[in-house]
Amino acid sequence: NSEACGLRCTESMSDFSEELIKSVTEDDRRETCELSGTGMQLPWLQKHIETVDTGGKKEKDFAQTTSACLSFIQEALLKHQWQQAAEYMHSYLQILEDSDSYKRQAAPEIIWKLGSEILYYHPKSNVEMFNTFADRMKNIGVMNYLKISLQHALYLLHHGMLEDANRNLSQAETWRYGEKSSSQEVLINLIQAYKGLLQYYAWSKKKRELSQLDKDDYAYNTASQSMRDHSWKTSVNLGALIQIPGVWDPFVKSYVEMLEFYGDQDGAREVLTNYAYDEKFPSNPNAHIYLYNFLKREKAPREKLISVLKILYQIVPSHKLMLEFHRLLRKSGSSQESMSIINCVKLFVQTLIIMTVAEKEEHLKLGLEVLFGVLDFAGCTKNITAWKYLAKCLRQTLMGSHLAWVQEEWNSRKNWWPGFHFSYFWAKSDWKEDKTLACEKALVAGILLGKGCRYFRYISKQDHQVSRKKIKRMKKLVKKYSIVNPGL
Amino acid sequence: MDFPGSLRPTLFRTGLLGLSNVPDMSFMCSWRDALTLPESLPQNSEVRMNGAPHMAKGLLWEPETPGPLPLLPPGPDPWHPGLTAQDLLFRGGHPFRRQPRVVLDVTEQLSRFLWDHGDIAFAPLGKLMLENFKLEGARRRFSILGGPILGKSVANLLGELLYEELVMRWQQLLLDDAFTGGALAWVPGRTPRVGQLVYPAGGTLDKLSRGPDFQEVSLTPAGDPWVLGDPGHIRLRGPVRQVVTRTVQGESLLAVRSDYHCALWKVSKQGRPAPLQVLQVEKGATGISLRLRRVYKDPETLVFRDPSPWRWADFTAHPRVLTVGDRTGVKIIDTQVKLERRSGPGMECCDHSEVCSHPERQIGTQRLVSSDTSPTPQSRPLHLASSSGPQFSLYLVDERLPLVPMLKWNHGLPSAPLLARLLPPPCPGCPRPLLLGGQGGQLQLLHITGEEASTPRLAGPPQSLPSRSDSLSAFPLLEPKSQWRLQERLKAPTIGLAAAIQPCASKPVLSLFQLSAAGDVFHQCLHLQADPGPPGDPGPDSCAPTASWTPQATACCSRWLKALLEVPPAPPVWAAPTFSHRHLLACVEQRKVEGKVPEGLRAAMAQGRLLQQRDLVSLPTAEPPPAPEPGPEDELSERLEAAWEGRAAAWWERQQGRSSGPGKQPKRHKRRTQLSSTFSSLSGRLELSDATSPPHSPDSEARPRPPVTPPSQELTQEHWAQGVPSERQQTLRDYMAKLPLREDAPGGASVPPSQTSSLRATPSRQRTLRDCAAKLPLQRDTPEGASVPSSQTSSLRATPSRQQTPILSGSQPHRKKPRMGF
Repeated sequence: NSEACGLRCTESMSDFSEELIKSVTEDDRRETCELSGTGMQLPWLQKHIETVDTGGKKEKDFAQTTSACLSFIQEALLKHQWQQAAEYMHSYLQILEDSDSYKRQAAPEIIWKLGSEILYYHPKSNVEMFNTFADRMKNIGVMNYLKISLQHALYLLHHGMLEDANRNLSQAETWRYGEKSSSQEVLINLIQAYKGLLQYYAWSKKKRELSQLDKDDYAYNTASQSMRDHSWKTSVNLGALIQIPGVWDPFVKSYVEMLEFYGDQDGAREVLTNYAYDEKFPSNPNAHIYLYNFLKREKAPREKLISVLKILYQIVPSHKLMLEFHRLLRKSGSSQESMSIINCVKLFVQTLIIMTVAEKEEHLKLGLEVLFGVLDFAGCTKNITAWKYLAKCLRQTLMGSHLAWVQEEWNSRKNWWPGFHFSYFWAKSDWKEDKTLACEKALVAGILLGKGCRYFRYISKQDHQVSRKKIKRMKKLVKKYSIVNPGL
Repeated sequence: MDFPGSLRPTLFRTGLLGLSNVPDMSFMCSWRDALTLPESLPQNSEVRMNGAPHMAKGLLWEPETPGPLPLLPPGPDPWHPGLTAQDLLFRGGHPFRRQPRVVLDVTEQLSRFLWDHGDIAFAPLGKLMLENFKLEGARRRFSILGGPILGKSVANLLGELLYEELVMRWQQLLLDDAFTGGALAWVPGRTPRVGQLVYPAGGTLDKLSRGPDFQEVSLTPAGDPWVLGDPGHIRLRGPVRQVVTRTVQGESLLAVRSDYHCALWKVSKQGRPAPLQVLQVEKGATGISLRLRRVYKDPETLVFRDPSPWRWADFTAHPRVLTVGDRTGVKIIDTQVKLERRSGPGMECCDHSEVCSHPERQIGTQRLVSSDTSPTPQSRPLHLASSSGPQFSLYLVDERLPLVPMLKWNHGLPSAPLLARLLPPPCPGCPRPLLLGGQGGQLQLLHITGEEASTPRLAGPPQSLPSRSDSLSAFPLLEPKSQWRLQERLKAPTIGLAAAIQPCASKPVLSLFQLSAAGDVFHQCLHLQADPGPPGDPGPDSCAPTASWTPQATACCSRWLKALLEVPPAPPVWAAPTFSHRHLLACVEQRKVEGKVPEGLRAAMAQGRLLQQRDLVSLPTAEPPPAPEPGPEDELSERLEAAWEGRAAAWWERQQGRSSGPGKQPKRHKRRTQLSSTFSSLSGRLELSDATSPPHSPDSEARPRPPVTPPSQELTQEHWAQGVPSERQQTLRDYMAKLPLREDAPGGASVPPSQTSSLRATPSRQRTLRDCAAKLPLQRDTPEGASVPSSQTSSLRATPSRQQTPILSGSQPHRKKPRMGF
């Protein structure tokens, strides 16, 4: 009876164990493919299992020594003992002859990672040594050829050896092994893109040389021609990669610069629009910033600029461009105020097409919202421009009798802004550090919280000859516009 | 806030951050990360100069001693390392030879459980029967039909519960997230050199060290700590799991998380804490962050794809937007209705298992706010997300671009880095140190560079810092047992990490404090190594200088060790459950036996003292009367009642007068021998609970136990009888007496009045269960002896079966190290 039960329990347990085993083995396999660690989910556990679980059957001596050697290298690396690490590395190379095919296949990448790390930091190593090592390692594990080539090129690029880097990338670009896998393709695209970037560097050097030359100079034409060559090559190289979802800021930037230089505005716009709006791409704030800057250079209509920044506002409401966004919105919203009658007639036709009065109000309202949004962020609390804009915007909004807008924004903030911005601590420290900032903040505090608020009281009590006038004006404005007890 | 104008090229994939079939662009080598792309046209050879400043090759925090030193004397409470993986793992021959694998030894756990907790394991059977069956009728049929079913269902239930417990224990062993975030904090004081350490102390970590102040520590210019005064304590209602400090608008705030409470203090400039707020958390708190005097309570409304009791929340750069993480990923949520547009899935570091069967498990997210004391700390919206999985990786994520990590680093720590501290730059232009603390005590220091408008990068090769185990060499060599104890103590998991950088020193000094699960605070000083000179210069730094122990350091260690060895060793984690004898007393009273129970006995029980002869009034000293004729049960209880009251002899005489016959005489002798065997088996059974310890004494732990023979039915029954409430035991025993085996000889043997004295006088205190089992066949031969159907006897028997009750108080308490720690 109880025997049977015992068995049953053990059975259900062993399912659990099986699950564990499964997960561990799969991880193991993955590990051997990815080659990045000591082989298991938890390295400390591995040791236990090795000692406990093999039941006396020890690992082969070879495997033991190589894994011990690996951990010595890692330890030495983490202690910055480069010389020691290099010595261990010398012994570790024997793993290339491991009878275990998993380990043998995994070895070249580990050797490359550790070896390059040692050579990069070892005080006695030099570029030639690194090159030799990289060239060796490329050909030991064919699978790593592309990866190593790319890293090698980056190393050379970082050391200012652009031509060597370019040669390296060109070699890698034409390399093929077996069936063309998707990962290979992406790597080749990357290699081409980096090559394109190198060509861009060359191009931009030529461009600078060209700008120093006289147009009538004989050399001008040749230089210009060679520039064109470079740009053509670059566009071929860069074009493929930036279609793949990713963050390609440096590539996109340089590509667009070249396209713009040769007057291909449409091409540049297409690249940037795709980079910013393609849903497969992560929502990269820089993509929208590049597009905005491009449109600004192009002198695109204000509406267009606003629509780009609207999206950036959704992603990064704390971005410094938000203040520019506010300016654009304010201009767009208040444009009718400064118009002559004739213009008004003109505008009447235009507004039917472009924007209605309601839309303008919308912009003004959004402008206010954007400012509140910027000042929500801890990193923007001392942005004097933002406070200035907010004070001005609040005044104008209240003058335009849009109290509801202000209240709408304020309602979600009134329980934390007083402590966050308008505390006694800030009043004291702002006054000490930046009196203009303190005055702007006090004005906002007075409008939003009334004369009784700590911040306003502290600042208005200060008697400082430079800001006396300011404070007086501030008091007047607060009296006039404070949203607290608006009836009074 | 500035956003980096140009981010490093990264491939973007939907789904898992750690896994994909496209090439991993972050490599294990740190140099790859240190490289930057020239922003614009490189000036040929100047590139190196442009790119180089971040590449501080000689960036190294050099430890002053080879290991950290104890800062405070060890606490007076003993500490036990608890369960280890070795306790749960299967030992012995194994079919998987090629790759060792994790196999939990369930059989051993089950058998251990049955040995250690027979009462728990077998009592439910009795309970089940009591609820569902009346024992008056159809006993025989029930016992035949019900026996196997009941036995099986109980064992199944037991198996399930054990399974659950094992899973829970194993998971806890793999990753104990209770102390995520760390329970040690440094509250800066009036000057940068003075601060207070706040940490839980005491055996159960429920005392928050405080005096009038918390433990005040002063750092000498060289970085050596100077402990000022003796800390007092705030006693809390549960173990402290996390301590967080932050300076908000010039005020030092201190938040403490225990399992079900979170509390907030304000620490004055003089270092005196004043309580501000306490929150009770019904579902259990798993994380606490501090800013704007707000303690965040985990909302239950968030929907996650996987059940994950562990949650972690932190603030973002927007004080009303939070990141909430669980084991499957991180979300950015907005606590304001107004801004809900930005809520929704944010950083999905990990994805559901449909995408991949082995997602990396998220083990912590943290907003990287450095512990600057300035009123406006660094506000870069960076978050640190670490994950466990096949690779232990660490991600630096900008909340403005949450889907693409800014930096990924396979830290290679052998245990989960539940502690992370970002420190202010030690000198202007220097990279910020980011400290990672693994649960196992390992420490790693990363140099993070890239302020405001540039992407964060590793500024040099990461560095490992000495762990507490490295300090072993500073202690004098001990005899093996003490040495082992010291080693265990030094290996205790790290549950807290605090650091302070001394800004004004010519050579920046980093003071590092560690808190271990044993409650020890260790300290280490690290000096930032000056730039060794131009790279490529074959300086003497090819091999990092090795620190050595100073006489002061070894003296400090010796003092600490002396204090440690004075602490008594830890008591067993598990102790037999004790029941209040007052409760038992109430049972006695309820059963309306007033007047019949001698006052002495009741008084002894009420006082909880040893039951003595005189408590039982006048027990007859004469030869115990022989067993009576088998008769109706009433007779037996009558007799026992008489025995209890000390009038057994009178009863016997009465009885003799009622049924006297010469034919009975020869039987009497035989009965007496049967009776004696009954007693020995009874006493053996009584020893059962007491005698389970010897097979588990520490010296027998190491060797695998011989397979447990399946307990015979009698044993089983006796086992479950132990856990049954005393008032039900008689019914049970009634039932057992009627079991088919005994059916042929109905009627139980009577217990002579000398029973209690025989119980006390039993010499075989160390008799094991097996001894007892060995006696059982004997019992089978004389079935009537097995039943002791007297209410008084059973109530008396129930007392010893509860272990550590007055009657058995002479026996040794349990001294064993239970494997499961139930």
